[in-house]
Formats: sequence, C-alpha cells, structure tokens
Amino acid sequence: MKAYINNLAYDFIKGETILEYVRRIENNKNAIPTMCQDDRLENFGSCRVCSVEVAREKDGPTKTMASCHTPISEGLYIYHNTERMKRLRKNIVELVLTDYPADKIVPSEGKKITPFQETIAQIGIPTIRYPKGANHFDIQPDRAHPYIKSDLSQCINCFRCVRACEEIQGEMILGMSGRGFATNIIKGFDTSFDESACVSCGACVQTCPTEALTDKFETKTLIADKTVRTTCTYCGVGCQLDVSVIDGEIRGIQAPESAEVNQGHTCLKGRFAFQFYDHPDRLREPMIKKNGKFEEVTWEEAYDFIAKKLLEIKTNYGADSIGGISSSRATNEENYLMQKMIRVAVGTNNIDGCARVCHAPTAFGMQKSFGTGAATNSIEDLKQTDAIFMFGANPIKGHPVTGAKIKQAFMKGVTSIVVDPIKTKLADLATYFLQIRPGTNVAILNMMAHYIVKEGLVNKNFITSYTEKYEEFKNHVENLDMNELETLTGVSKDLVRKAAIAYAKADSAMEFHGLGVTEHFQGSKTVMLLSNLAMMTGNIGRNGVGLNPLRGQNNVQGAADMGVQPHQGAGYMDINKPEIQHYYAEKYGVKKMPEREGLKIPQMLDAAIDGTIKALYIMGEDTIMTDPNTNHSIKAFEKLELIVVQELFMTATSEMADVVLPASSYFEKNGTFTNGERRVQRVNKVIEPIGNTKPDGQIIIDIMSKLGYNQPKGLTYDAAKVIEEIADVIPFMKGLTWERLGENGLQWPINEDGTDTKMLHINGQFKKGVGTFHHFDFEESPEIVSHGKKYPFILTTGRELEHYNSGTMTRRTDNQAILGKDFLEVHPRDAKEKGIKDEEIVRIFSDRGSVNIPIKYSKNVKRGVLRTTFHQPEVFINIITGSVGDGETLTPEYKVVAVDFERAH
Amino acid sequence: MANKNIRSLSSRKELDDNLFENIADLSLTHSTKEDFQNLAKRFMIDDSVVFGTASFYDFTREENRNKKIHVCSGTACMVANSQTNLYKNLENHFEEKEIGHAACVGRCHTNSAFMYNGNTYSANSSEGLEQILSSRAQSRDQKNDYNIDCNTTPILTSKIEDLTAFYSLAEKHKNNPQHVIQEIKTSNLRGRGGAGFPFWFKLDAVIKEPFDSAQDDTQKYVVCNADEGDPGAYSDMYLMEHQAHKVLLGMYMTGLTVGANTGVLYIRGEYPDSIRIIGEAISALKEKKLIGDFRFKIIRGQGSYVCGEETALLNSIEGLRPEVRVRPPYPAQYGLFGKPTVLSNVETFANIHWILENGGEAYAKLGTKQSSGTKLVSLDSFFNTPGMYEIEMGTPLKTIFEDFGNGFKSDVKAFQIGGPLGGIVPMHKIEDLTLDFESLNSNGFLLGHASVVSIPSDFPMIQFLEHLMEFTADESCGKCYPCRIGSHRGMEMLQKAQNSTYKIDRQLFDDLLETLEIGSLCALGGGIPLPVKNALQYFNDELKHYFTTN
Repeated sequence: MKAYINNLAYDFIKGETILEYVRRIENNKNAIPTMCQDDRLENFGSCRVCSVEVAREKDGPTKTMASCHTPISEGLYIYHNTERMKRLRKNIVELVLTDYPADKIVPSEGKKITPFQETIAQIGIPTIRYPKGANHFDIQPDRAHPYIKSDLSQCINCFRCVRACEEIQGEMILGMSGRGFATNIIKGFDTSFDESACVSCGACVQTCPTEALTDKFETKTLIADKTVRTTCTYCGVGCQLDVSVIDGEIRGIQAPESAEVNQGHTCLKGRFAFQFYDHPDRLREPMIKKNGKFEEVTWEEAYDFIAKKLLEIKTNYGADSIGGISSSRATNEENYLMQKMIRVAVGTNNIDGCARVCHAPTAFGMQKSFGTGAATNSIEDLKQTDAIFMFGANPIKGHPVTGAKIKQAFMKGVTSIVVDPIKTKLADLATYFLQIRPGTNVAILNMMAHYIVKEGLVNKNFITSYTEKYEEFKNHVENLDMNELETLTGVSKDLVRKAAIAYAKADSAMEFHGLGVTEHFQGSKTVMLLSNLAMMTGNIGRNGVGLNPLRGQNNVQGAADMGVQPHQGAGYMDINKPEIQHYYAEKYGVKKMPEREGLKIPQMLDAAIDGTIKALYIMGEDTIMTDPNTNHSIKAFEKLELIVVQELFMTATSEMADVVLPASSYFEKNGTFTNGERRVQRVNKVIEPIGNTKPDGQIIIDIMSKLGYNQPKGLTYDAAKVIEEIADVIPFMKGLTWERLGENGLQWPINEDGTDTKMLHINGQFKKGVGTFHHFDFEESPEIVSHGKKYPFILTTGRELEHYNSGTMTRRTDNQAILGKDFLEVHPRDAKEKGIKDEEIVRIFSDRGSVNIPIKYSKNVKRGVLRTTFHQPEVFINIITGSVGDGETLTPEYKVVAVDFERAH
Repeated sequence: MANKNIRSLSSRKELDDNLFENIADLSLTHSTKEDFQNLAKRFMIDDSVVFGTASFYDFTREENRNKKIHVCSGTACMVANSQTNLYKNLENHFEEKEIGHAACVGRCHTNSAFMYNGNTYSANSSEGLEQILSSRAQSRDQKNDYNIDCNTTPILTSKIEDLTAFYSLAEKHKNNPQHVIQEIKTSNLRGRGGAGFPFWFKLDAVIKEPFDSAQDDTQKYVVCNADEGDPGAYSDMYLMEHQAHKVLLGMYMTGLTVGANTGVLYIRGEYPDSIRIIGEAISALKEKKLIGDFRFKIIRGQGSYVCGEETALLNSIEGLRPEVRVRPPYPAQYGLFGKPTVLSNVETFANIHWILENGGEAYAKLGTKQSSGTKLVSLDSFFNTPGMYEIEMGTPLKTIFEDFGNGFKSDVKAFQIGGPLGGIVPMHKIEDLTLDFESLNSNGFLLGHASVVSIPSDFPMIQFLEHLMEFTADESCGKCYPCRIGSHRGMEMLQKAQNSTYKIDRQLFDDLLETLEIGSLCALGGGIPLPVKNALQYFNDELKHYFTTN
C-alpha cells in the first residue's frame, strides 16, 4: 500500500488520513498546519488550513482536499506545501484575523504562545487587506464560573471546545448558535458557564487554541519553570497530570495527551482542585496535645514521645494492644512501610486501611471466586464490549474520566444495564434500569442468574472447562421464587428477565461495580454473585468482558496489594500460615512475624471500647468522620491511651489525637499509586514539602527506626528503593522498578522482564486454578430487621462530582464554591406528606442519633428511600449510620440505614 | 464524524417523535425557555443542542418567531423588481417587525411572491393583496399555475391514469433488487440535484451495507431531498404538487431494492402546498394499502438553503445543526441517524417508474450518451411563457428559450442557469449550449437544477453579484472558515464598492474567490465563485470600475 509525498513513495497504514500519513512520514506534528484539529476528536474539517493538493498521477492535475478528513489511498500523490497551498493557508488566516483581536496575534508579554499563535507564525502573518467589516469584538467576557472563563471576542470558531465537550466529556454544554458569520459559541441555553449545567472538567479550555476559553489559573499560557507529570490523587481512575510550577508554587494543571489512562482529559478535581496544597489550614509543624491543647514541638520531640508511648503500651499490654490504620490516599511505598512498621517494628497484624470502609468485599469476594481481588480487565476494553452492566456505581460522579467514557458508550446505544436504588444519569441512559430497594443486591442477582439458567443462556463449555460448583449454584437459583424476589427488590421480574437475557446474549459483556455493591451487609456475597454471572456466561478472560470494580480512592488497589489488611501481608499472602510467616520474616530480616491474625478497623474500635486496644496509629485517615456510627467511634477514641495521626489538615480525628504529625501532600513526594485497573503509576514530586512537613513514608521510616527497626536500604524515604523491596517481597510485582514505570505505568502482574498484564484469567485460566461458584440466599439487613419498623425510610449515601469523600482537600478549593452543601434527596411525595417544602431543613434520625440537613425534592429516589452525600462536616452524616457491616469483611453498610425525618425545629 | 452522541440520542426517538420537528413546533408556537429545556431533558441532551438548532433556521430563530408574513427574497423576484412594491403594500397591513422574508417560494413565474398563513401567493397590486388578506384565502383559491409542456416522450410530465396499476410495478420488481439496479445502471440515470452522480451506484453501495442482525441494526433509509432551495427553481415543487406518486413510487421502489423500510421526504417549508399534497398522496397509499408496511415521513424544512446539501439535510432531520459533515463516510455508509441511506433528489426518484416500466435501455436512448433522459427546466417571468418544461437532454438552450419560453418580454443581458451557484451565461453564449451536464460544464457553467433566472439589461451586475454573495453569507452554515468569513467579507466589499468610493482590491478579490473555491467544505462556499467569475469575465466593462486595476 503506497502513496506519494512530493513524488516519493511511502507505505501508508489503512484508515490513515492524509494528515496522519504526512505527519508520520515526515515525523513532524507540524508538517501541515492545523487549527481545528485535535487528534482526540473526530475529524471535523472546519478551518481548512490543512488543505493539500492531491493528484491521481505524478504531477497530474490536482484537487485541493482537507488532509484532516481525507483518507489516504493507493497511488495518491500528495503535494502539501505547494505555493498554492501556502497561499490558501495565508488567505484563510487573513480572513480569520479580520475577526480576531490585533493585539492577540503574537503572545502577550510573559505569556506562553497559544496553538493558534503558533499556527499563524507557521503560516506567516498576513497583511489584512480587507476593509473594516463586521466583527465579534464586543462579546462580553464570561467570568462568573469559579474556574472556567470565556472571552469569545478571541474565538476563532474552530468548534474544538464544542466537540471536546461532547466527545471527551460526553456533555453538550457548549454548542453553537446562529449561522454563517453570526455563528457563536453558546453555553447551555445561551447562558454563562456558571448558570449552565457545565461539569467544569476543563476539556474545552485545554483544547481551545486561543485564549477565548481560559481557566482561573491561565494554565495554558503559563511559562512554567518546570512541568512535572504525576498521578492524580482524587480517584481510582489514576489520571496523569502535568503540573506547572513557577517559583516553587503550583500554578496550574493540564492533562497530558500521551497519558494512556486519561488521554489529555481529567475532571475538575484533578485539573483545578489543587489549591488545598498550600492552604493556610495545612498542618505545618508536629504537635503534641498538652493539657488538652495542641502545642507545636520538634519532630524529634514528637518522635520520642510516640516511640516511648508505643513501647510502654507494648510492654504493658502486648503488641496486639496497638493498631495501625493506613490510607488508600498514600502511596504504595508508604502503605507498604506502614504495614511493615505495624507488623515488624510494633509486632502485630492489627493493620487495616480505609479499604475497610469501601472495597474490602471486592478483594475478598473476587479472591474467593477467581483467586485475585482486582479488576480482571482494563478500561480500554470499553471500546470492545457489547454490553455494560453497571451495578451500584455512579462513575459519572465518582470516576469522572472513566464515567465520561461509559456515559458515551451508553449514549451511543451499547446494551446497558444499571442496577441502583438511585436513578443516576447512567440509569437514565441505560437500556435497562433496575431500581432496587437498597439492600436487595443478592436478590436481584439471584433473579438474573435464575433467568439466565431458565432461558438456557449459560456458557456450558466455559463452566465445565474452567469452573467448579456450578451445579449447586444452578440448583439454588433455579428453585427461587421469582414472585417473592420481585416483591423484595421492587423490580418487575419481567424487566429483570429482559436485562438478564440482554447480558447473557451479548458477545462480550463487561461488569462494573462500586460501593453500592460492597457497602452492604451482603457485600462480599454480592461480589461473588457478580463473579458467578460473569463465569456462567463465559464473560471472563477476553477483551471487553470481566468484573471491574471502580475503586473509590486513588490507591485502594495499591493499599491492599501492599498488605494493609489484618489477614494478608504484602502480596495477599495469608499471614496465618507458618510458611508465609517465615517468608516475610526472611524478607524483612527479622526473626519472627506476629502470628495472630489482626483486627479490622471496626474490631479495633470495639476492642478500644473493651480496653484491649490501647493505641491507634493513623496515617491519613479521618476515621471519626468517615466511619459509621460516629458516637461509637468517639467513645472508642476516648478510651485510647495514645492516638497518633499523620495528616494534612486538622480533622475530627486529628482533633482527638495525642500527637499530630504534619504530612506532605502528594505533590510533595515521590511514590506510586495503583489505579482500578491494577496500573502502578508514578507519583512524582512537584514541589518541596510545605512548611515543616514530611512525607508519610519518611515519618514511618523514622518511627520504625525509633522503635528499633532500621529500613535496610537507608533511613531516607526513597520511593525507588522501597519499590526494589516491594518487587522482592510481592511475587506479582517481581519486575517492578521505578525506571520501568515510565510515563504510563505498568499493570500487575509485572513479570521479571518488566512486561505487564492488561487482562487476568485469560482463556479461563483462573489464578486459583479454577473459578468457584458460590450461592447465597438474600438476607434482610439486620439494620432493617431491628430498626425498619421504627424508622421506615432507608437512607443511602453517595458522592458528588465536586468533592472527594470527607472533603478535607476539595472543600479547601473553589470546588466548594461550586457545591458547598450536602443535601438530602427526598421523593417529593414523601416530603409533602410530612408537609416539608423543597430546600427546607429537616432533622434526620436513626437509632444512633440525628443530624440536620436541607432537603432537595428528587425523583431520582423511589418513595421510602433517601439519599445524601457526606462531604461537609457541618452535617456529619455518620452520626446516624449504623454498625452493621458486611458479614465477611465488616465493611460498614453505609448504603442501608433505617431512618426517619421531620422538619427541623 | 462529529456529534455521534447527540445523533444516537436523537435516533432513539427517531422519526415518530422527531427532535427536529419538536424543536420546530416549540419555536413556531411561542414556547417558553422551560418548554425547550424540557424537550432537551426528554431527549437526554443539553440545552445548547435545542438552542443551537432553533437559532439556525429562518423560521425558528427567535428574532423571526413573530413574523406573520414572509416576503420572497429569491433571485427571480429580485430581478423582476416586484418586491419593493409588494413590501410597500404590505406595510399598510403589517408592522415592520411582522414582515419577514423567505428565500424563494417557487413563484418565479409570476413574482410578487410571499408566504402567509401557511400558503404562498403572488400579489402585484394593492387590491390583489387586500383580497388575499381579507378572504383568509387558501392557496387553492390562488392556484400556483404555470405552463407545463414537454419536447419528447413525457417521463416526468405524463399523467398517472390508475394508481393501483402504477404501484403494481413495485410488486413486480420487489423480489429482484439486482435487476432493478441493473436497469437503472443501464438507463444511466444521474442524480438530478445538480451533482449528476450515477444513481445506481448509491443503490449498489447501500444494498451492500451488511445487515447486522446481532446488533439488531437492520435500519436503512431512503431520503428524498426536496429542499429545492435554488431561487428560480420550481421543478421539484412541480413534481411534488403534480406528480407526487412518481416521487413516492421511486422512493418506495428504492426502499424495496436496498432493504430500507422507511422513506423520508425533506420538503422545504417554503413549499406548503407540496407538503400538503405529498401528505395526501401518502395517506392515499396507506388507505389503498399499496405500499405494505413501508413507512413514509415528511420532514418540513424551516428555512435554510444549506439543508439542500445532503449531509446538512441529514443532520437537519436528526435535529442537529445542519452543518455540513465531512466525507467520507458517505450517506450510503453513514447516513440518516448513522445508518446506510440512499439520498437523492425529487426528480431522480420521479424517473424510476418509467425506467422500470420501459427498461433502462429505452431511457438511455433519450438524451445524450452521458446525460440520458429528460430534465425539467423552469423558466422565470421574463419569458413570454414562463413555466415548467420537460426537455430531452441535449436539446439546444436556444430551442427551449424560443419554442417553449417564446422569447423574452424585455431586454435580457444574461441568465443564471442552475441556481445561485450556477453559471451566469451572457445571452450570446446561448448558441453554444445544449441542455446537458457536459455542454454546460465544458463552457464554464453548470446544469445544476436547470432553473433559468433572467438578468435584465438594466439590472446592474454588481448588484447581482452582491445578491449572490449575500445569499451565500446568509445561508452559510458557519462551519468552514472560507464560507463563514469569506462570503461575508465578499458581500461587504461588494456593498462598499457600490455605496462609496471604495474600490475592491482585485488581487484580494481573486484570492478570496480562490479561497472559497478550493478551500470550502461544501458546494455552497465552493460554488459561489463560478457565477462571480463568469460575471467578471463576460461583464468586465460593467464591473471593472468597482475594482482596482492591479
């Protein structure tokens, strides 16, 4: 397959455009000038400056064609830089400049050149020969939005923002109005960014080639001292970010187009919500509480205090009286060190992490079914799937970049099933929406399995070749009473049947799930039933299939991988087994490892109340705010003899601490995060630690040393060195090195030669040898059994786009200006029956306590169901949540709380 | 291809609850912002989509929603100089803000044309106007009459005697699509919209598009481009109003051939009678059960010339802004709602019955080798006998003008054939030209839609050029730079040169014409230089003092 550039023959790739072909052959992105082109967007062809001359024969008669949307084909002769084309380009630029501010043709003093200015320079600045005519210079700037600004007098109508809004973010906030010369960019119903339904992702700003769209930070025209690529801390997607630094300050963030995970895109948290990093509230000095008040102390004093206290408690009550809580926001290296400190330097398996309150059932359930507690496939498989089954997750809000991809697949009409008690945006778009009563996950999955069996849609070959215990499962679901389950779930069995058939009939079906699965009494069981669904239909081990948990925090996957669990060490090895204890002892260079399985966080809190746990060492976790039943947590904390907290800010938890150690944020240190698709990616230090803070990893190494254990590779926290140790300890990380991670990371298992793994359990080769079916009956949550009568409403919780969990970081940015309140969503009829108006404040109460919160009428919840978020400390919703947890992992049941509400007095 | 998400969401409600029709309905019924927003919500799209679409069209954009009467601003009425008088008369009955414009309502044979209360009229006197306004007349009271004649075997102008018999042809051919395609191929029928693309090729391409039964993705469409926007042309109007079943049968037969169960007619809103008559014809078919479960749908255009461009037309039906799409993919692969689509002009479809009844060979014998068959020619009011003439391809233009038009009523220095993007032919060139694609092309003109608009000797050519450039600027979709900015700057220069001492930089003007011609995305911006260049060539004496001499 050959075509010609200036009469020289070159091979072309099928499907390539002329633009791509010429760029590739000349190895020059600017081989042909462009304006409206953004490689991530569909070919559009509005600016025409990429036009080239094309002939059918050598030096034959030519036609002028836009290279960006014309495919190259056999025997074409391309002449891309002829005098005629140069003239055309210059004449087009001349036309554009008749309606473009004259003072913006070259960069302003101190500003980086914009892509449009670069194009003008490349083509040559023309003299404008046209007489003065109509223009758009009087369009007023729009500066109302906290982050995104527009000055459309500088707009060149390239449509890139409009297309980015639709094609990258899956929104249609930006559009065009009018026609001809009067064509103008609009937002929503011709309103401002702030008044529109804009989700503030900033994709438009990043793609805009002029300063028509900018952000508060003027990111695109910053002349940075340096730009550092790092991994976002705000969710399990793991976006790559380019952080611009001037004079040691972070001045703006853009998303690199070369990033495999996010392809130049990110959300408002990743892009804009970085101002927390030097917020006045940042903790800057170590503090010890003396006489009920925190006093600043030196690191040495703090360390000595902690070491002395810990050793004292260990001597008096034994190592098992001490517990450690690690953080899924910290790096892998820090999580690894934290669990090592607790196990090796303290000498107990009482190490747990915030995965306990989110995805522990995923890790547990998937290990039981498949042998590996991690996503089986990669996000890029979305391109190859025929059906998407979204269970208890709202990635549009929780995982915006992946959510935007899924949303677009839904919009484009992929077979889609949503199970959720909340009518989310995805539910709106889905082919089948099963709006269940909260807590009936097991019931709905049993129904789906029942119909798949009944309809004869099981993949017998897959089941017999690669799995076990299918018959038991089949017998179980076959005999269930669908009428009974229909009543329980509140979803018509006919609809469930249709959804089940659609899932089973798809050639490739991909399951996604979130905390709507795990944060339940039957959370682990639900994960296993989701696994069953994939196995019984053969949707494992191929592209576009599998079970793909959407990880809430940036490093939930990594924290578990690193052994932040009381029953498994680094690399998921069972610490109850003597041979494993020996393995770790040898790797860590100690004589002996603790033998008893440790306590999970809820057990630690109970044990504190019992008096068997005396000290908690907490790294980056606001246990008081995020764990359920706050009063219970407070009671536990009050009984402790020592509470150590490493934190960025004062939180409800650090307020109760004896020692608070100021930690460096992720901008201030090196390390790695592992995203939801097992991808270990580099976190690169962008700036020096703020104030007198230290990276969590450094603090842990220091404390370990004080406790008598010196890190073998030195007492300075060096991510690359810790990685060497991790690669040595964790078999599936064997080939991991800091260098090899490069720009886009590696997906584990990482083989010794550095190759990585996009997909697990290929061709039915399950990690544990064989896939195992489990079967369960639906059981009503004890919360409902005990309290359902007295508190007839079910409260369920979720996140909003603008905030990250308890909001410690996002509340200290302008995200708070976009969304500054928690709301309780109530079905209007439920509220009206109580005579409560929209936006009135109600008192919501449970068996544990009550909080006040404004309500919002919403038909996204069914009658009898309430939904709220938990980002704002003013509301402290966990005062009312309960102590029921997942039967297997104790993950709290945030999603089902028996409550009632009344107008607040 | 841009807008895949919006297109897909719109396709969920497809034609029965059509987004474009919904937007138009709200615009025409003085709806509130909330109504539009609720519509957006119902389609799960954002407000900008409905706002953007509504703001595009003459009839739906906000500033035009209060217009009660639309005065024809077409070329034929302009050169006839009938509209100033009409406007003056209208001012006695309407406030200025109530008077809008319509870009040609197809009364080029009588002029003084306007659209009122869903009908079109001509009123060349104040009394005539008063009568129309007072009687609240139906358009039937003032029939849009013109001469109809033919110089050969009538294909398009023949009468249909028996509807059932007429449609029985479809029964006969429905199980043999390859035969149908072969006959059409033999006939050498070329698309009548102007581009002259072999019609069989489209059928062949669409029939080859696979049915994806796994995806349940079996939808294909036939779309009839009845957005006859060329001012001066009314041949599609003639076919729809006098030969509706020739058009419908052609579409139906096409659907049976390629496996499409739906035919969409996109009819411009300036032809209310066409919409009514086609609607009645479809009802008759359903009543008589002549088309099985084939589904016809009429989409009413809302005032936009660019919708005659095939991809803009598809976007328009979908409720998107009718911005021209890039090609490839072609409509045959990715057409209406992204599905394989046969899209052609009214007149193309109207030929199909005759071809299948008489055979492709018989059709090919008519006309010239490369331009077979007949072509409808519409003559404007400068002819002594304006009207609609079915002319065999290859006929000398002179013959048409003399034998059918019976010469001109007054002095004419040139005529524009084939719409605003067609050539401006000086009268002396008429001797060299015959009615077919090749003759006009090789002489630097275009067959286009074969409408003829006369340019009287006393009509300034500079004003005619201004009109063409203004038309392009008005009707540009605004997507590609050359057309969006270039046509506007061209218009400004032509205006300035007439209104002041300003002389147009000839080099700049040539650069602009080249930029438009080779740089534009579609034939609107790309086509406008042709008549302008014709005028500069043949009427240089008249035009030169508006330009610098370099």
